[in-house]
Amino acid sequence: MSDKLKDIISKQSEQQDSVVEHLDDVVQLVGFIIGDEEYAVPILSIQEIIKPFTWTRVPQVPPYVLGVFNLRGAVIPLIDLRLKFGLPPKKQSEDTRFIVMRHGNDVAGFVIDRLTMAIRIKKENIGPAPDTVIGDDTIIEGVGKQADKIITILKVDKLLKRDF
Amino acid sequence: MDEFQEILQDFLVEAFELVEKLDEDLVELESNPEDLELLNGIFRVAHTVKGASSFLNFDVLTHLTHHMEDVLNRARHGELTITPDVMDVILESVDLMKALLEKIRDTSSDDGIDVSACVARLDKITGGSGEVETPAAAAPAQEEEVVEEEPQQEETADDEDEIDYENMSPEEVEAEIERLLQQRQEEDRKRREAKIAAGEKVPQMPKEGDDSKEEEPKEEEKKEEPKKAAPAPTPKPAASSAGSSTKKDDAKAAAPARKAPAQVEQTIRVDVKRLDHLMNLIGELVLAKNRLIKINDDVEERYEGEEFLEELNQVVSIVSLVTTDLQIAVMKTRMLPIGKVFNKFPRMIRDLSRELNKKIELVISGEETELDKSIVEEIGDPLVHIIRNSCDHGIEPPEERIAKGKPEVGTISLKAYNEGNQIVIQIDDDGKGLDPEMLKRKSLEKGIITEKEADSMSDKEAYALIFKPGFSTAAQVTNVSGRGVGMDVVKTNIEKLNGIIDIDSEVGKGTSIKLKIPLTLAIIQALLVGVQEEHYAIPLASVLETVRISKDEIYTVEGKNVMRLRDDVLSLVHIGDIFEVERILDASEHAYVVVLGLGTSKLGLIVDTLVGQEEIVIKSLGDYLKGIEGIAGATIRGDGGVTLIVDVVALMDIAKNVKASSISEEQNGAANKEKTKPSDYVIMIVDDSKTDRTIMRKALEPMGVTLVEAGDGQEALNILKSGDYNFDAMLIDIEMPRMDGYTLASEIKKYNRYKNLPLIAVTSRTSKSDRMRGVESGMVEYITKPYSADYLASVVQRNVNFKSEFL
Repeated sequence: MSDKLKDIISKQSEQQDSVVEHLDDVVQLVGFIIGDEEYAVPILSIQEIIKPFTWTRVPQVPPYVLGVFNLRGAVIPLIDLRLKFGLPPKKQSEDTRFIVMRHGNDVAGFVIDRLTMAIRIKKENIGPAPDTVIGDDTIIEGVGKQADKIITILKVDKLLKRDF
Repeated sequence: MDEFQEILQDFLVEAFELVEKLDEDLVELESNPEDLELLNGIFRVAHTVKGASSFLNFDVLTHLTHHMEDVLNRARHGELTITPDVMDVILESVDLMKALLEKIRDTSSDDGIDVSACVARLDKITGGSGEVETPAAAAPAQEEEVVEEEPQQEETADDEDEIDYENMSPEEVEAEIERLLQQRQEEDRKRREAKIAAGEKVPQMPKEGDDSKEEEPKEEEKKEEPKKAAPAPTPKPAASSAGSSTKKDDAKAAAPARKAPAQVEQTIRVDVKRLDHLMNLIGELVLAKNRLIKINDDVEERYEGEEFLEELNQVVSIVSLVTTDLQIAVMKTRMLPIGKVFNKFPRMIRDLSRELNKKIELVISGEETELDKSIVEEIGDPLVHIIRNSCDHGIEPPEERIAKGKPEVGTISLKAYNEGNQIVIQIDDDGKGLDPEMLKRKSLEKGIITEKEADSMSDKEAYALIFKPGFSTAAQVTNVSGRGVGMDVVKTNIEKLNGIIDIDSEVGKGTSIKLKIPLTLAIIQALLVGVQEEHYAIPLASVLETVRISKDEIYTVEGKNVMRLRDDVLSLVHIGDIFEVERILDASEHAYVVVLGLGTSKLGLIVDTLVGQEEIVIKSLGDYLKGIEGIAGATIRGDGGVTLIVDVVALMDIAKNVKASSISEEQNGAANKEKTKPSDYVIMIVDDSKTDRTIMRKALEPMGVTLVEAGDGQEALNILKSGDYNFDAMLIDIEMPRMDGYTLASEIKKYNRYKNLPLIAVTSRTSKSDRMRGVESGMVEYITKPYSADYLASVVQRNVNFKSEFL
């Protein structure tokens, strides 16, 4: 391998490193509304966001597990986050979306009331979850502070974990 | 290190293959102790394993195989005769060898298994005489996982060869050896002469007797040629055994070309993962095919008589045909002959009959019958248990058999054959048979059944008791069976495969157990059933029949629903009770009962409708939803929707605990709230014409009622189902796209809660037959266009009981 080539390669990898560093500082999130609160999950854990369609009820599960639906040939569970968070059920509207999240091999669809936007937030602006909800069981990753509001960041692995 | 791992992997695959064949060959050798071809084959296995293991530094394995080789070498040279006792030691060492190989496979090392006792016994045999001390305890039979082997006919021990060498004096043994040697030499010579006569070139006959064991393999092979078929009574077995040993030769690099029949199969070793992936893809294709067929049907309905339909039909049928063929072809690549499982039984029967002092012959047929790999892996254990059970409890001791006038040697026959989409494995014995009365008595004693159950039990149900956990008819627990666990395992495993167990027996004559297993697990035929608005798929293999019954044929006994099915009483359970289905639709007078059969039990499942039979691909529900009772998985239907697959095993368990729901469902008390103002009345207008909707709106607005509009039947139904409004009446046009007024009316009338909702037809169709259809579909009024606004208003008021004070 010629020295020139080596130089180019090392330069490239340096560049990549700097990009990674840059990304490390900023977390990209997708925000959505459930009830009156705004929540967010890391954008990389989202496989896709789709409009609602029909699903099949599954017996013997808690009410917040609506059932399963067909995502291009894969059978995926559908979870209503309103019910999961203890809010009263609401009819699906024009804004309702299914967010399909993935963590490792676990995939599930989540019903949310409305999407807000993709958010870039600096790491230092993310605080820990409030003391009252800290613990192993909490599904709150942290609280993102923005100029005019705060956003609850959810733990995707916890959301995808079966808890019944 | 990688290179070493690679070599190790190759070694293990090869060694397991070789060892698998060994058992079978050894048992056969016992009945034909003079079959040199067999003996040579066995010797080569030991030799190959020894060579490879010493290269790979597996000292224990090398040590063991070295001594095995010694014994076999002596036998090969006629210095030793294979007696059952010698065979016991050899088999024990083979078991040890397997254990070592497994150890190497799991840990990459062969430490920790003690072979010295076995080696000592082997040495003793090599020590000159055929006498051996019998091992104190027989080595436990290894339940070997089948790696790869070939179906092979077997023969059980031949009595004439069982000369008792133990009681011979050393001189007699010498004489016997001498005699056998001469016999063999004689045969060798004859063989050679025959070959010469046939004009074949015969290699130099090697010197007899002094072949040292350090001899080069190459030389051995050379002299094998003439020896090969020497002791064979007819030329035919020579060909077949040569065929079976081709494998070993292939495995052995140094093996010279021999005149093996040119029937080498063209095969490729493929990673099972690749086949699984292929199977998954085919699954997707089958789903797409189902969908295509559905769309084709829809298009056909819509564009009846159009020319392009013909073409579309052709394409769809070709695609569906090819898909089916492709699926079968891929399924076939995963198929293995069941002989792979059957092959271990001759050895097992041999060991068992010696242990139990019974004389048992095993007859195997249909070993070429093929089954999916995953099923072949699961079927081994149940068969082991059934056969052990037949040996222990079925076949009587020889004296007893003679006393009963039966042949001294008991026969167990193991048979496999195809029956439709299933494979049947049948295990028959000619032993003492099952006595239903005795089975009931035993179960009563053990508290497995109640007296009441015992009284009402049929013989078949009584036979099924042997599968209950904790049940054993053996008077005492032996090494072989009697702990009451085995047959329970059989039932569990067979049910896991969606199989059915069928037992037939006659006291004194014998027992016949049939296992019926579906050919494959990934893609199955299913019966789709409907309950209310939901659909479920039931594996067709578990469906015995379906019956249509009327509600008054259902009786309630002790809180359970039952019905009479021909001569039997069938317990019933409603699928809605099991899967918590909300009863929103009106139940009709009739219901369908799907009779499920599994293992030995039966259950009637009440469903609302039978949708049909469909080929479905089983998909897992994933980690999040796994383990839901009664659901085995899901499949994707032609319309893209998900349908859950019923787990018949679990369903039968759940059914035991489900209380019969009163078939007459509670009346849905429609929330008829008191109307306090005109806008409390809600009326839906269904018409595809905007103008017509506006005319109706204008006519009704003066009343002050709330009006909701829908553009066609489908939309109207969706609004109704969404439950946003509580409608008091509906005005329905007849001619509409997507769903017309008649269909809409009959759909609405299916729901309990809308039974009394007044449906008013507003249409320009005036003929009598149209009116009749309207009435049939549940319309209460029939208004023909054009109409006056007042008339419409008055009809609506009458039907919604509009309170006069609002006027």
